[in-house]
Amino acid sequence: MIFKRHTILASWYWLSAIFLFTPILISIVYSFNVGVLGKQTARFTGWTWAWYPAAWHDVSLCGALETSFLVAAAATAIVVIIGPMLGFALVRHPAAKMRAALLGLTFLLIVVPEIVIGTSLLLSFAALQVPLGPATLIVSVTPGGIAVMALVVRARASTLDAHLEEAAADLGSSNLQTARLIIFPQLRPAILTGALLAYAFCFDNLIIASFLTTATTNTLPVYLYGSLQYQPSPTVYVAAGFVFMFTSALLGLAGLSWHLASARRSDLPKGIET
Amino acid sequence: MHRQRHAFIHFCAGIPLVWLGVVFIVPLLISVVFSFGTNTFGGITFGFTLDNYRTALSGLYLAVLARTIAFAAGASFTCLVVAYPVAYFIAGRTGWQRTLCLVLILLPYFSSFLIRVMSLQILFSRDNILDAWLQRLHFATGPLDLINTPVAVLVGMVYAYLPIATVPIFLVLERIPPALRDASRDLGASYWQRFLTVTFPLSLPGVVTSALLTIVPMLGELVIPQLLGGGRGVLMGQIISSQYLQAQNYPLGASMAVILMLIVGVLLHLSWWLGRRLEGRVR
Repeated sequence: MIFKRHTILASWYWLSAIFLFTPILISIVYSFNVGVLGKQTARFTGWTWAWYPAAWHDVSLCGALETSFLVAAAATAIVVIIGPMLGFALVRHPAAKMRAALLGLTFLLIVVPEIVIGTSLLLSFAALQVPLGPATLIVSVTPGGIAVMALVVRARASTLDAHLEEAAADLGSSNLQTARLIIFPQLRPAILTGALLAYAFCFDNLIIASFLTTATTNTLPVYLYGSLQYQPSPTVYVAAGFVFMFTSALLGLAGLSWHLASARRSDLPKGIET
Repeated sequence: MHRQRHAFIHFCAGIPLVWLGVVFIVPLLISVVFSFGTNTFGGITFGFTLDNYRTALSGLYLAVLARTIAFAAGASFTCLVVAYPVAYFIAGRTGWQRTLCLVLILLPYFSSFLIRVMSLQILFSRDNILDAWLQRLHFATGPLDLINTPVAVLVGMVYAYLPIATVPIFLVLERIPPALRDASRDLGASYWQRFLTVTFPLSLPGVVTSALLTIVPMLGELVIPQLLGGGRGVLMGQIISSQYLQAQNYPLGASMAVILMLIVGVLLHLSWWLGRRLEGRVR
């Protein structure tokens, strides 16, 4: 009886996993589809490699990919500075009310639908007559990344010993020295993990970005979305597969850095002594 | 010395507050201001009128709002029903098996969202490769033709948010001390009694979090209904987006966004209230 129950549960799990992975597999298979008249079709009409070189030579596709990389990198640079500050303040701020307010803000970042954020930013830029471009796009995707980073850093900072920072201050180290020599080294793995997650998040953002892209600043997801209005060619699936591999690699790195950090956690005080 | 330390932590809190204030809070407030304005030809007159809200809450738009809420609630519920056993299975594993099982569910969530929806579009269409194989193997009797139906949108939403729904339930199940279940078994409770009286009630806070984390993005979902639902069964996200990108009626779009935020606020409050009640009962 127990065995049977476990089997049902296990089957449910594996069916769900297959359900989640099938579309990813399908997108890879369909990047090899011949299609009809250069357009992607649901009917699989034959295997071909041709779309891979075609994607490589597609100027607008490569341009969008390049913009995506740049926007995500610049947004991550901002997230790496601001997110850890927020995450640290969430744990260490002396006023409980302030901690609660900051936590509320962090959850608000996660809970406000992206369409509301995107349209509000578009309105604001229009109202303040800020011309749309790479800078406005970069700024607009940072809130979500900051929330992710803050939560990852918060999880790590809550395991740290505040006495270390107090001891450093008592021994005469300035705030900057304490931050650089005591706090930052302990938070570094979390910041790295958070940065990779934020990069993946910013890279993949579609809804916020779709309101803020222009004819000249177009990210890959927005470009792909736009190309769906007129049946796209299978090159789009090539780019998609490439992006999936890239994001998976990033996430693998994030997982590895987190894993290594938790493995090293036991001998952290030793590292601080030196 | 302590004052100096406090200066540092105030700096840490201040910088994000300023940044998020400028790129997040102020834009939301600007949306609120716009929602009370009037759209005139080629511009916006600011003032205080409730006309946009009246329009947004009447006729076709009201029907869309009602359909969106019903859809999000249904999809979120379905998502929870699928996610609960998945989370339960993962929480039942130990060591590296548990990590692997969790990663397998989470990994697809981090691959490009749009591409997964595009692939679902293929999967739901007639004569796709999987459909062809299944028919050749005589597993399927007729072609699967889900595309451009409400069911396709529902399946798409469950698909997209299943990983998000699984994590909070898993985190709660993982923390339930095995001793509690052992105790109830020693007292003679059967498996189902144990589950219904011990495990399930204790996991409800996680279920509430999952419901919140899935229903909120579903309310504003734009891509899934657009790609899988075809022109029929338009949802709130599409209507808001078209006010900005096609109709150029910013005040009306802003009022719809504000309505969406208010609904999210109500849901947040509800989940907070439920969470407190549930925790109070456990103690």
